[in-house]
Amino acid sequence: MDERDRVRRNRIYAQLVELGRVPTIEETGVDEATLRRLEDEHALVLEPDGSAFRMLAPFSGVPTPYLVEAKGSRWHANCAWDAFGVPAALGVDGHVSATCLDCGDRLEVGVRGGEPTPANLVAHFLLPAERWWADIVFT
Amino acid sequence: MGRWLEANGYERGVTLGVLQVAELARAWWQDRLDPDWRPHTREENQAILERVGLVGRFWQLA
Repeated sequence: MDERDRVRRNRIYAQLVELGRVPTIEETGVDEATLRRLEDEHALVLEPDGSAFRMLAPFSGVPTPYLVEAKGSRWHANCAWDAFGVPAALGVDGHVSATCLDCGDRLEVGVRGGEPTPANLVAHFLLPAERWWADIVFT
Repeated sequence: MGRWLEANGYERGVTLGVLQVAELARAWWQDRLDPDWRPHTREENQAILERVGLVGRFWQLA
């Protein structure tokens, strides 16, 4: 990633914090070629038609079953791992609401100082690490 | 977990406790909003996985 693209990427993420949500592509003012390069570098994920951000990981650009309350906003995360990544990235405590994929139970998890409560829950990693980026949305 | 895997035709992966997932999340994502963030190298990411105890074939990055 060259220096100009790195600076643009960091501006996009700064906008996310300022807005309290994933920005639209129009709001970022970043051109398509730059966004495609950043996607190739795994710095973000676009919708297939390039019209919106699908992921500014750990944040999701679309609604997901992983809702995180942190820093005065409600964020969607891409998966359980990313759900804990939202308060970690924001550097704050938070609360994760999710649904157990196996039993359908509602899960409410507090995160304080990075530590989740309750601590007796589990998360399943379906794919080996070498396949994560083969289809990151599925992952 | 078995019901979900079977219902979707998925093979079992690896199940982690939430404490380890949160530890991984802190190590992996905590710099993501730094104003001067730079991309992690593959080696840096692999080291994060190892640091939180995720070693072996399943956790080898591409």
